[in-house]
Amino acid sequence: MTLPLDEQGRLSLGPLGDWVLGNIQSGLLVLDAQLRIVFANPWLLRRARRSADEVLDRPLTEAFPCQAGSHFERALQQALRTGFPAVLSETLHLSPLPLFALGSAPSGQVRLHQSIQIVPMGHAMAREAGQRYLLVQVTDVSPAVARERVLREQAQRMHAMAHVDALTDIGNRRHFDATLEREWRHAMRQNQPLSLVLFDIDHFKQYNDSYGHQRGDACLKRVATVIEAVAQRPRDVVCRYGGEEIAMLLPDTPLAGALKLAQQVVDAVRGAAMPHVVSPGGVVTLSAGVASERPLPGMVADTLLLLADRALYQAKRLGRDRVETLPSASKAGREPAQS
Amino acid sequence: MNLNELELDALAELFNLGVGQAADALSQLAGESVQLSIPEVQLLPKAEVVRRLGEAGDRRVSAVRQGFHGEIVTDALLMFPAEQSLQLVQIMVGDAVPLDQLGEMEQEALAEIGNILLNSVVASVGNALGIDFDGSLPEVELGVLSDVLLANESVTEPLLSLQVRFEIASRSIVGHLAFLLDIQSSGRLEEKVAAFIRSLDANVS
Repeated sequence: MTLPLDEQGRLSLGPLGDWVLGNIQSGLLVLDAQLRIVFANPWLLRRARRSADEVLDRPLTEAFPCQAGSHFERALQQALRTGFPAVLSETLHLSPLPLFALGSAPSGQVRLHQSIQIVPMGHAMAREAGQRYLLVQVTDVSPAVARERVLREQAQRMHAMAHVDALTDIGNRRHFDATLEREWRHAMRQNQPLSLVLFDIDHFKQYNDSYGHQRGDACLKRVATVIEAVAQRPRDVVCRYGGEEIAMLLPDTPLAGALKLAQQVVDAVRGAAMPHVVSPGGVVTLSAGVASERPLPGMVADTLLLLADRALYQAKRLGRDRVETLPSASKAGREPAQS
Repeated sequence: MNLNELELDALAELFNLGVGQAADALSQLAGESVQLSIPEVQLLPKAEVVRRLGEAGDRRVSAVRQGFHGEIVTDALLMFPAEQSLQLVQIMVGDAVPLDQLGEMEQEALAEIGNILLNSVVASVGNALGIDFDGSLPEVELGVLSDVLLANESVTEPLLSLQVRFEIASRSIVGHLAFLLDIQSSGRLEEKVAAFIRSLDANVS
């Protein structure tokens, strides 16, 4: 088998072949066994900004100097040796060939994202042709890459949105549930205490009744801001747990530390002196329930939630505007409740 | 067709030579050490493989399929449980974003990983047994294991079944290699392996 050549000694498949190869919407290169370029189709040449004369009969590494020693060159050598086709995916290789979008200014050149397939001649055909030729197909996957980036960014944005409370901008209940579960497992593995404080705005229903829901919303926002200002370590998490209930999750924090932070919040909210006509002190106050556990195998995260909730109920029962805690579940009965 | 223990051991050794080269290539791509090993090689009828997979036959897998033809004709399949293929691609690509499924670009990366592995393994076996193979381009198939394994083919035909273990970034990912063989090709393989072992014996004595 001899390759069909035109009058200039170049590979030509005749008018029909030239017409097909001239209109195909991906790049085609044919290389000989010395990796010299014996054919390049118009699609590829236009995006490489080269003429046929500039690249034909020249070694690939000379026509496209950046190729020497690259994965691409290694893959070509290997395909010559083994006769097996190879693919170079866009994700694992950054744009091997210097191909650029049509119409982009030469100054701001950004390479096309490329997916490359290398197909060597089979053994029988290579024997007939006297050497093994390689067909290199280049597909422009820039649109797919751009599309996937947009989708990924949207997914991240939606994930973030799905975890934020729209009113207060702190985490929502979904975020709280996920974080509690994660931190509980972390605390169990690391044998560290995990503390939880549940805050509830005292007489909040009456606040809404007296001042209207807009002022009620503003009050919630203000309280959320105060709590966030106290929970400052990187892994501290503040979430809106229910209507006017806000949770503060404190990893690696023993009971004493959690009680101290809870008291700071309760004092700070009272100190902010937001007027509240129905409240005994005339200002908005908080009640807080604190729970702290060093999780043991077999215990579930809900234990912590249940204890904090009971402690909060205790704080309400004992007159509000205060911090309460109950005996730990793991040491039940051995430590008296603090009040 | 039957391969005795000695013949299966010889094949396992050839496969391990092949995956060694693939591991080097993958390490370069990933920019960190990738180790590959093939703990065992078995020759089983397809029906037996499907039976053994049992419930696992309903599992979703990501597979890379590549055809090789010469004196022996085989469809080579590298299969991973879907979630393992996600992990593998994520580690290789070095992407911090966890994936829920293989997107277009990730499937292409998986095709490349599979291509490197299958080419190396088949080249190693082909060299040793003196078989010139031609190959086709790799294709990714996502689906249920039994569908991928049995696509349009008779269940009585044998297949060469191998486990392949990837050790990368201190994680271990286990995939499955299968070479589908028709009766004629499995007979040839048997002859070639027997001849290979005779030649080794001749060299030793």
